[in-house]
Amino acid sequence: MLLSIVLVVFLLLKVTPGDPARNVAGLRASPEELAQVRTELGIDRPILVQYWNYLSHAVQGDLGYSYKSRETVTAMIGARVAATVWLVSVAIVMVLLITIPLAIIAATRQGHAIDHAIRIAGLLGLSMPAFWVGVMLLLLIALPTGWFPAGGFGESPREHLRSVILPALTLAIGMAPVPIRSLRASIIAILATDYVATARSLGIPGGRIIRRFVLRNAAVPFITVFALEIGFLLFGTAVVETTFALPGVGQGLVLAARGRDLPAIQGYTLLFATLAVVVYLLADILTALLDPRVEIDS
Amino acid sequence: MSASLRARARASALPTKVWIGAGIVLLFMLIALCAPLLAPFDPLALDPVNRLQAPSSLHWLGSDELGRDSLSRLLYASRIDLPIGLICALLPAVIGTFLGLIAGYFGSWVDALIMRLADIVQAFPSYILIISLVVAFGQGATSIVAAFTLLGWVIYARLVRTEVIRVRSLAYIQAAETAGLPSGRILMHHVVPNVIGQTIVYVPSDIVFATLGLAAFSFLGLGIPVPTAEWGGMIAAVQPYIRTQWWLAAAPGLLIVLYGFGLSLLGEGLEEAQR
Repeated sequence: MLLSIVLVVFLLLKVTPGDPARNVAGLRASPEELAQVRTELGIDRPILVQYWNYLSHAVQGDLGYSYKSRETVTAMIGARVAATVWLVSVAIVMVLLITIPLAIIAATRQGHAIDHAIRIAGLLGLSMPAFWVGVMLLLLIALPTGWFPAGGFGESPREHLRSVILPALTLAIGMAPVPIRSLRASIIAILATDYVATARSLGIPGGRIIRRFVLRNAAVPFITVFALEIGFLLFGTAVVETTFALPGVGQGLVLAARGRDLPAIQGYTLLFATLAVVVYLLADILTALLDPRVEIDS
Repeated sequence: MSASLRARARASALPTKVWIGAGIVLLFMLIALCAPLLAPFDPLALDPVNRLQAPSSLHWLGSDELGRDSLSRLLYASRIDLPIGLICALLPAVIGTFLGLIAGYFGSWVDALIMRLADIVQAFPSYILIISLVVAFGQGATSIVAAFTLLGWVIYARLVRTEVIRVRSLAYIQAAETAGLPSGRILMHHVVPNVIGQTIVYVPSDIVFATLGLAAFSFLGLGIPVPTAEWGGMIAAVQPYIRTQWWLAAAPGLLIVLYGFGLSLLGEGLEEAQR
């Protein structure tokens, strides 16, 4: 699957208009210089050979050289991984902190004003563009309070954390509505089951029922929905890192795309595709661990 | 007669959400249609001397970093964001519905081929692929539409296929087949009316995603090229000035939120009505 993704992106960027050699050598390069650059880049060989070369180098961690900065793509990506890992981890924690309590409240007070309020907030959350939320958080929180930097990533872990809080919140606001809705629906369904009624009749307190029986059973569909959000999350890092000038891989992909830096675009896409596959796999494994009825197919 | 009665019965059963949502969406469409009449200025007219003006009786929402009238640009932007967002959602819906229909109805290798294709497309982290597609096709509306269509049809194809397989086994379809009606006729007259509801429910939320996506790509500098007025691009252009001219960034976002909210209400209402 990963191979097909890489192949599609590889072919797409091969048919891209524009001559990469011209891009590297500059507008005033002579035909001889151009030919030499082509040989250096390996783009004078047949496409299948190029693809094979790319793959065999990629498995060794060599993703080629950036057309723009002449650095290796691996080094470019490596320098940007930390910011994105911080951002994504904090965002996921925030999403869980928002999603689980709100879904429990909405489900246990079904039809009440608070349930409707959460639902309307969810619709608003889905309609808000992440980049705009980011700009508004900068405007309404970062600028007046001065607690958070308006961009960058800082030097120490403390500064890193401060730099990613608002970007992570931006991501979390966009990500939360769908899991809240699905978790609310599964909690309502589970509360109506016989085993919950039995537990109630035994006099087990409500909070314990939620923790012991409801959340445990709701976890399986929740993990599936959560894993599907990875697509949004990856694109979200591109948007949010650009908004907050956070030097992560998402911003790297955007800069590479703007500069038509093909090897870099390929590298980032390969990274993101791998991440998506890994997350789906993890979600499958986690689901199987939580629910013995689920079997993992190869 | 019975048809109009049924239509009326269905209309009266629609939840309030549908009407509020439809009202908001309709208002936006009117604005897009009438933008040239409503806009006080040419959205592209530069006036560098009067750049970054505060809202005044002349420029209701101030002027942007190149002195263009912000209100006029907002109004004209709806003529980009609305239709492109709509096409980005409708084209995949139509193509996906069609592919789902033939996959579900004809089965065998047609089904296998289409569903295999769907598997492959679905495995991609789609927005990331859209970035590569935009780079490959070149920046602009056509690339965005092509990218959304290539990736968006899958969900519709799957939904419709499942429904078609269910409907196919029902007695009246079997009867129509036995009576020797041509496949095209059975599909159009007997299958489509029964499965189309599934598609329609998904369209409004897809329009929201497509419109937000378009704005996001333009914000990143990978969507609609400047100087065309587009909500996402407008926000990107004024981001350096939010400290002093916050309204320039706030206004386009509020419009997107309101439009998206209207569509979401409409979609949720339709979904409830179907249950």
